[in-house]
Amino acid sequence: MSAGAEPVASAFAPGGARRDWQTKLVDRGPFLVACVMLAALVAIYGSLREGVFTLEELNIDTAAALTLLLAATGQTIVLLRGGIDLSIGGMISFGTVIAATQFGDFGQTAGWIVAILAIGLGVGAVNGLLISILRLQPFLVTLATWSILSGAALLILPTDGGQLPEAWMSGGNATILGLSTSVWILIVLLVFWAWFRSTRLGITIRATGSNEKSAFLSGVSLTFINVATYGLSGLFAALASLYLTTQTGAGSPTIGKDYILPSVAAAVIGGISLFGGRGGLVGTVIGAFILTIIGNLVFVLSVSSYWQPIVSGVILLIAVLASSLAERSARRSLT
Amino acid sequence: MDLIDASAVSKRYGGIAALSAAEFHAKAGEVHALIGENGAGKSTFIQILAGAVRADAGTILLAGKPYAAANPSAAQAAGISSVFQELSLIPDLTVEENIWFRREPTTPFGTVTRRAIRKQTIDLFERYAIPAARPDQEVRRLNLAERQVIEIAKALARDPRVLILDEATSSLAPRETEWLLALSQKLAAAGKLVIYISHRLQEVRAVASRITIFRNGATVAAHDMNAVGDDQIISEMLGRRLDRLFPERKPTATDRIALRIRGVSAGQRVRDIDLDLREGEVLGVGGLQGHGQRELFQALFGIGKAKGSIELWGRQVSARGPQYSLTGREGIALVPEDRRGQGLLLAKSVRENLTLAVIPRFSRLGILSRRREKALVDEMIEFLRIKAKNPDQPAGTLSGGNQQKVIFGKMLLTEARVLLLYDPTRGVDVGTKGEIFTLMRDLAARGYAILFYSSDLPELVHVADRVAVMRNGTVAGVLEGAAISEDNILKAAMFEPRAAAS
Repeated sequence: MSAGAEPVASAFAPGGARRDWQTKLVDRGPFLVACVMLAALVAIYGSLREGVFTLEELNIDTAAALTLLLAATGQTIVLLRGGIDLSIGGMISFGTVIAATQFGDFGQTAGWIVAILAIGLGVGAVNGLLISILRLQPFLVTLATWSILSGAALLILPTDGGQLPEAWMSGGNATILGLSTSVWILIVLLVFWAWFRSTRLGITIRATGSNEKSAFLSGVSLTFINVATYGLSGLFAALASLYLTTQTGAGSPTIGKDYILPSVAAAVIGGISLFGGRGGLVGTVIGAFILTIIGNLVFVLSVSSYWQPIVSGVILLIAVLASSLAERSARRSLT
Repeated sequence: MDLIDASAVSKRYGGIAALSAAEFHAKAGEVHALIGENGAGKSTFIQILAGAVRADAGTILLAGKPYAAANPSAAQAAGISSVFQELSLIPDLTVEENIWFRREPTTPFGTVTRRAIRKQTIDLFERYAIPAARPDQEVRRLNLAERQVIEIAKALARDPRVLILDEATSSLAPRETEWLLALSQKLAAAGKLVIYISHRLQEVRAVASRITIFRNGATVAAHDMNAVGDDQIISEMLGRRLDRLFPERKPTATDRIALRIRGVSAGQRVRDIDLDLREGEVLGVGGLQGHGQRELFQALFGIGKAKGSIELWGRQVSARGPQYSLTGREGIALVPEDRRGQGLLLAKSVRENLTLAVIPRFSRLGILSRRREKALVDEMIEFLRIKAKNPDQPAGTLSGGNQQKVIFGKMLLTEARVLLLYDPTRGVDVGTKGEIFTLMRDLAARGYAILFYSSDLPELVHVADRVAVMRNGTVAGVLEGAAISEDNILKAAMFEPRAAAS
């Protein structure tokens, strides 16, 4: 064969377009696995009970999932940054306690809502500052702030109780155009994410989680990113606490701890990488619903409620396995 | 007037002076080479220019005005863009997101406009004839060479007055290197300043009009490129006359076959390879980057799945993973491509790095003998002349060349006599390069068998006994004796599969 007939091979011989879809599939693997698991759980749930595929059921399940989901939204942002936020447990307790002791007439309530959100943002910002300026581990810093907030919550309200205004409760459980408040909040949350993920801040948070040093060399201020990331996480924890009070009707100085690990689990089940940089909120939404539906199933099957953490654990393992396979594929292509 | 006018710039890290009163003067419109051994202070100096590190003392004038970048953004705002040796790309972002990172065009809602980014990217690629890459591919899917090109594209996208290229060609294939050299000169012709850092003298000579030489943190000399000879440059770099970069090549191969490869295929990039590596031989592996060399080395070391037959010293081996490859004198050892990522634990000490793979050699019943470990480590540090303050110095704080020596030491301690060296001189200074080549020939003479890939053609030509040229995942030809030349390697790599096989 003549030399001319041979195309000059490029050093940039691509891996091949034919492998493109495979790559994409593996990349999105953890998310797809979560979708399949949710579909399967819903199918099982639907076969066991009447009326699962109705708006009413959607309203109820969303209300059940939303506190976790709001907490997990903050956690998702932090995980994308490559960190972790345990302090959300303390913030949620603290928020419910403030709400249960301070909410009153409209003006009071509005004022304290702003205050709770500001505290969430502020505590998160402090987390971010401690992590960046003192170069401490996120795990330990947020463990400490969790402890501080939990103690503060217990000082204000030593046992579960307090009173939430009627209007506040009915607002949180209203139905508008056939959809509950919780579903509307979920819709707003998804719109927020669609916007946030393609803002510069959203991209920068993800980029910093993907490779901190590269981000720094590209001019990212790590202090700013940490303050923004943990600040947002604190803000979402505050939102979660507010929504939680509409469901429980009381304040609880200890309830927040029930959301710390599940918030991480929801995100990981939804395909967020613990190493940062990869995943999105839609996955976390699915993860939160998976955890909620497991609770429903345990209830419908009328087996011991202790089955719930067992099944959740198994689901989490499957999710982690899927992520790890995706991670491995990504790393192999890197070498 | 000089565009960059740096005087008496100093920087200390702890007790060590990385730069002491360095001088650097460069004009707009020139390609200015900055050379020196690893550890000479080049990296520190350009990191100061790039805002990644702050100088302790000295003044830098940029176009006559005092310049002190507090961070990389400030440097970029002042028109200084750098292509770092350590890549600044974000693995999980796409090519185009990386190029425009933090400078993305946005809508009034603050969201990034994908379409505008795509258009800008394509314009940029066309404007600088950047070797094509897919704008929407995630960077973690790219190989080192592709990443390097994107890194350069990212720097160009800022339309800088000063472009700093730090070892930018070390992972590039000849074709992309050509592109970069031509581009540098085009930028200089357009009135920019290109600061070009490379260990490859040939390249420096081809591209630069001025040259500044650093040694031990200080400026030794600055010349017009055409007024200075290679010997002078090298002696100024080293502070002594270097005999010769390449050692004498005496044939030491025996008839005994150390590594017999038959019909080995791996993944999509290695197809049906037959090769014999003999005792006492250095067998070079050449070809354009990305034609299966990396995958071949990985397959031989047992990373990933491979089909076909691999024999070590006449014994069939199952290549299942590095731990199976490390079996004493019958084994096989690898110097990997990415020493900082794959070869070394940067935070661990020289001692721990050296002995990590051979802990059983100095432990009995699971208990380590510190005395025996120390003996082995000291011996290896002395044999390889590793420049470390003490064996407990973290490997990450050594210069590039010394890091590479630690990897060699780690490999030699396994006692394996079949060595796979994947680009062992990448980013290594000239002095250490010479030592590595001498070591390779010395090991061959002692009966080691060495498979040697290099992205630098002259290395293959001058060090290897034979050169197997790879093309599209298979061996396109094996060059021997006088037939080994840069021309023949390139020809076999690019055009005629069987050209010089005779």
